[in-house]
Amino acid sequence: MKCLLMLRLAGALLAVTALAASAAPDGQDDLRPISAAQWTPAAAAHLLQRAGFGGLPNEITALAALSPQQAVHQLVRWQAVPEDFVAFDESGLHDPGLEPFPASRPATTNAAKRDGQALGVANKPGGNRRLQPVTNTFFYWLRASKLETQRLAQWWAQRMLVTPRPLQEKMALFWHGHFATSEDKVRDYRKLLRQNMLFRDKGNGRFRELLIGVAQDPAMLAFLDAGVNVKGAPNENFAREIMEMFTLGEGHYSEADIREAARAFTGWNAKGLVFAIDPARHDDGIKRVLGREGALTGIDVIDTLLAQPAAAEHIAGRLYQYFVRQDLSPALRRELAAVLRNSGYDIAVLLETIFLSRDFHAPASVATRIRPPVELVVATYRLAGLTQIPGVPDFNAVTESLGQKLFYPPTVAGWAQGRSWITPGLLFARSNFAYDLVYPDINFIPPDRAPTSEFKINELGDKLAQGLDVTSATRLDGMELNSTSMQLADRDEEFNTRLASYRGWQMAIERVKPVPRTLARLQLGPLVQADGAKTASQAVDALLRRFVVVSVAPATRARLVAFLERELGTTDLQAARSYLDEPLRQTLHLILALPEYQLG
Amino acid sequence: MHSHSPAGLNRRALLQAGLAGASGLGLLPGALQQALAASAARHPERILVVLELSGGNDGLNTLVPYGDDAYYRQRPRLGIKPAQLRRIDQHHGFNPGMAGFERLYKDGRMAVVHGCGYAQPSFSHFTSMAYWHTAMPNSGEEHGWMGRLADAIDPQNSAEYLVNIDETQSLAVRARKHLPLTFDDPRRFTRKGLFEQRSVLDAAPDAQLGSNASLGFMRDVAQSARDSSTRVREAWARYKTPVDYGIVALDLPKIAALIHAGLPTRLYYSAYRHNAFDTHVQQAEQHQRLLSYASDAVSGFMADLERIGKARDVTLLVFSEFGRRVAENTSLGTDHGTANHMYVIGQPVRGGHYGALPSLTALDASDNLIHTTDFRRVYATLIDGWLGGDAAAVLRGQFAPFAMFG
Repeated sequence: MKCLLMLRLAGALLAVTALAASAAPDGQDDLRPISAAQWTPAAAAHLLQRAGFGGLPNEITALAALSPQQAVHQLVRWQAVPEDFVAFDESGLHDPGLEPFPASRPATTNAAKRDGQALGVANKPGGNRRLQPVTNTFFYWLRASKLETQRLAQWWAQRMLVTPRPLQEKMALFWHGHFATSEDKVRDYRKLLRQNMLFRDKGNGRFRELLIGVAQDPAMLAFLDAGVNVKGAPNENFAREIMEMFTLGEGHYSEADIREAARAFTGWNAKGLVFAIDPARHDDGIKRVLGREGALTGIDVIDTLLAQPAAAEHIAGRLYQYFVRQDLSPALRRELAAVLRNSGYDIAVLLETIFLSRDFHAPASVATRIRPPVELVVATYRLAGLTQIPGVPDFNAVTESLGQKLFYPPTVAGWAQGRSWITPGLLFARSNFAYDLVYPDINFIPPDRAPTSEFKINELGDKLAQGLDVTSATRLDGMELNSTSMQLADRDEEFNTRLASYRGWQMAIERVKPVPRTLARLQLGPLVQADGAKTASQAVDALLRRFVVVSVAPATRARLVAFLERELGTTDLQAARSYLDEPLRQTLHLILALPEYQLG
Repeated sequence: MHSHSPAGLNRRALLQAGLAGASGLGLLPGALQQALAASAARHPERILVVLELSGGNDGLNTLVPYGDDAYYRQRPRLGIKPAQLRRIDQHHGFNPGMAGFERLYKDGRMAVVHGCGYAQPSFSHFTSMAYWHTAMPNSGEEHGWMGRLADAIDPQNSAEYLVNIDETQSLAVRARKHLPLTFDDPRRFTRKGLFEQRSVLDAAPDAQLGSNASLGFMRDVAQSARDSSTRVREAWARYKTPVDYGIVALDLPKIAALIHAGLPTRLYYSAYRHNAFDTHVQQAEQHQRLLSYASDAVSGFMADLERIGKARDVTLLVFSEFGRRVAENTSLGTDHGTANHMYVIGQPVRGGHYGALPSLTALDASDNLIHTTDFRRVYATLIDGWLGGDAAAVLRGQFAPFAMFG
């Protein structure tokens, strides 16, 4: 009796120390660290899945051999892990004449009409289409920056694939969604590269430093219209997003706070690639933001935001939902916020708490996350044993078809996570990615060499080569043109927009370095045999073990085994060793097409 | 904060209630309403297409109230001169880029509903859009109005009843029972696979005991994808049109293709994507371009419906999550605002102006238009007057419809 009472007392004490959240017996909502006994290879695999891009069998074994604290420490405090960083190999596309790049084609040609030149290119003194060279150059930079951004994405994906610091890249990906910035508006890959490096450098540091870095980041300044946020004429775009998206979340500030905060950020802009505050454009008057009054600077506003209780809750909640689960109880959110706040907004401390927690390893958290497209693609390549992102299928085309194109978040809110990743169309796209991996398309036309998506652009080249005059060559035939937009495109005699678009492509393709179009060299036979498989059913199990974290239904497995046996013509891998690869590829495709594979 | 003060709220709420009550235009006699609903039920071919202009379209520079001096006072640099406008009457003119809208209006196929909005407006794209998607501002409702509508008027839960063409699924179509068919590119709406793989690929996903919720969700989606793939792909492959939809056709040709192929879809949802209309800076040329694209695409769609003989069966709704502030900003752009026009377009529509014009001088505390029409009245009009549903049940409240059909 006495003994039982003691146990109960001890239990009650434990419940109290388990902080505010009522911890379920399976550990859900419990932020205390897991015990050594709970640290199994499966737990290590789960950690690598979430804090990285999937774990290879040897990586899982190595991580499981550490203590959970050591394992988490190694991932989160990545600065201690040595690496061989290969910088982005720029094509060298920019020249100073392009700066400042005008807002639009009309802005460019209007400037050229006014000044006799634009973008560092003079108008022709006489002759036909005097503004054609300027207009060509305008389209050149748009196209070149876009193509270079695709190379940049490919380079980043390569980092994700081979880095010994997987969480560094994953955090960069998280921050890319949190501080969403799109090349569509920035139109300068150089700025996106810098922002990407900022996320890599400060991704696990103090949030305040990161936030200041972002607020002063040339890409963000361009994206949220810093150039026009000036004294006497504040523009609210950045002030709104820093509150709504970056720090507080809606409902924790007023419209007046936004207007006042915008004044504090006036004069903040980038000159080229360097941040500078223009004192003549900065409003140093008295502002009142969230109850704080004074001659507030942008930094003061940032500190005011971070002093709000809502800030830690918003940021901790976003991180938790990204790495653990979409559904987050208010109590757990408060606890996570307290961890973040008490650490002085040290992101690494919060990450360690999350990854070590019983909650992170609770059944509700394991294998329930719908894997975002970029992670899915990179992890698939890793687990298939690749050490280079294939050139075919094209990385950007694949991830875009799956709903996530790097450097092109759909809105300032970034990518919606969770179930938003899955629609009937997107589920097919995931399955088709698997097909394109095992059967790469040899008729593939590289999008960085041929602008196939551009409306009728390829026909234009043919017509010019046949000696057609520009007006005839750029006329769109075969259509009854009633729309305003089609008619407007061509009305100025000083330049032809369609010709400029075409020449812009030419100039860009000439200068942008090509993406190597290597095909994935899969070697699945050695892969399953290294895992000890000797029969068809063992090969299926090896692939399932390696790729899928959810256990599949017995009927599904049976179908896969029957398929592989039929294609091999035997159950014995040794007998089929000389033609093993293709049947295994087909089986892998079937496995990656399963709904189960989409979870991690 | 003035706009959050209880006094301001009450005044606005009263104003709104008064307007809704006083609007004889919108209130049909019960018998007539019933007759309409019954006639709609007899017309299962009737289709509603929604086009969302994301980003907050600047309504005042879309359909310009050129007859109101206040417009030019508030927009000394962005105001569009009367001579440049496509004038439709003594007071209003469309943006110069919108030849298509002008034609549709003059042909009597466009209803313009003025001053649409809701009380306590949100200036966040995402929050405000969620209010329009759910038709339940400030409620945290998790299903969209189109989704609830599908659940209500199609209790059999037919496949392909509700189609959403986009990269990701809109909250507007999220339903309790219906699984919206969401895809982007109809050519790719298929699963690649070899002949030998087909039986495994096409097998229905196996149910699994104790499986997690994410997996259950994905199995349902997989099922829906499998069932509709062939129909969608063939519809697109067979569709060819001589109609010019303009430079940015949006997803309207895809919808025309599915309608042409006779899919059982009654509700289509699509968007001008990626917050395109968020014109904070140097907006004049950019905004006109966006509008000409949208207007071209819409008028192309209408011409295409005519061509395939479906013009009588389709009504299109165009809306945005908010309008923009009355006064131009100092960057030659406009900031997030409140009330806006909604457009209901199609051969079945009784064209003209609906709803009261919002005042350009009596603004709210944040210098924004005070809405005159609860946007849900337009939804109610489409539900009751066009599709023959029970608007009060779907919208969970009484919103007087306009006499826009019949």
